[in-house]
Amino acid sequence: MRPEITPAALILLGLLAALFLHDLTSLEKNRRLMLLQLVVFAVGGSLIVYPEIARRLAHGVGIGRGVDFVLYPLVIWLVRESLLTRRRRLEEEEKTTELVRALAPAEARVVVAPAHLSGGQSSGSSASTTT
Amino acid sequence: MPAVRIAVLMPAFNEAGRLTATVDELRSLGAGAAITVFLVDDGSDPPIDAKTLDGRDRDKVGVVLARHAVNLGQGAALETARRLALDPRFAPPGGFDAYVTMDADGQHRGVDVLALAEAIASGADVALGDRFAGDSNVPSSRRALLGAARVFERVATGERLSDAHNGLRAFGPRAIAAMRIRHNRMAHATELTHAIARSRGEAGLHVVEVPVSVRYTEASLAKGQSASGAVAILVDLVQGFFLKDHR
Repeated sequence: MRPEITPAALILLGLLAALFLHDLTSLEKNRRLMLLQLVVFAVGGSLIVYPEIARRLAHGVGIGRGVDFVLYPLVIWLVRESLLTRRRRLEEEEKTTELVRALAPAEARVVVAPAHLSGGQSSGSSASTTT
Repeated sequence: MPAVRIAVLMPAFNEAGRLTATVDELRSLGAGAAITVFLVDDGSDPPIDAKTLDGRDRDKVGVVLARHAVNLGQGAALETARRLALDPRFAPPGGFDAYVTMDADGQHRGVDVLALAEAIASGADVALGDRFAGDSNVPSSRRALLGAARVFERVATGERLSDAHNGLRAFGPRAIAAMRIRHNRMAHATELTHAIARSRGEAGLHVVEVPVSVRYTEASLAKGQSASGAVAILVDLVQGFFLKDHR
């Protein structure tokens, strides 16, 4: 199997290397995450340099192109991630809402007392009753 | 005949300029109603100053002011107002006779609040304002948008309403308990229609439509719903339907 070093492959490999170097400095304390990332990047880099691997795997499972073999599961995973992220964001929004709402009644003020809160009659002197 | 006890649920976001006039209009309604406004400042900047509500004829309308520390949206503010109105610390013994939702920007008239509350006092559980039957200056672009909303509500909720997205509506004590709002932003209108449709089927709520007038101004049109807002509502509804827990 021969490596296929095209301009696109060089750009992609450069991008992978830059991302890895960037993460190496920002995630240096999380060695397990760095290791996982190294494995994922190594697999990705191998598929870029040796597209024949993806091609043979694709043919093995009845998919026409090697790139589709990589893309199909990737798209499924990304859509799932997107839905889960939106769901998490909605849950966070609900929590924030309840938190803000829990504070609101606690700090609610009777600015002008209605009749039922001012001994059965409206009173002009009952403003700013804090409850 | 005793005065109808009305809780006005009023969300407000940066409405300081028009808020005083809106509350003053309620104060001018006379002795036929005992009104308490549950005003929720939805994170306005600057916050609503309680002193601005201490205007003329202040005895006639009670005002309870609560504030969201951050802006959550009209639906969230309405839900907070609903909970405050049901809170025994602020409600009269036995609760209010009618709960009316009203915008703070001066679009809605005080007399229509009274008309909706009277419909509830006459036996309806839900009274929905119909701006097309009243004397409203609805711009043609808004008329088209509301027409589309009416069709959408018909398909989504099964309710055949003349005016599906009118913020002026009233609920009786039996209905208000079922009107819990979970959509923070403008999609709450569809959520309420859905809750009305469900409650009508389950609890046999009596729903009526009452002609009201909505006053459109340049300011209210600038702040109101637009076509892009309608898309945002649709996205909110779809997201809520599929992604939220429906407990």
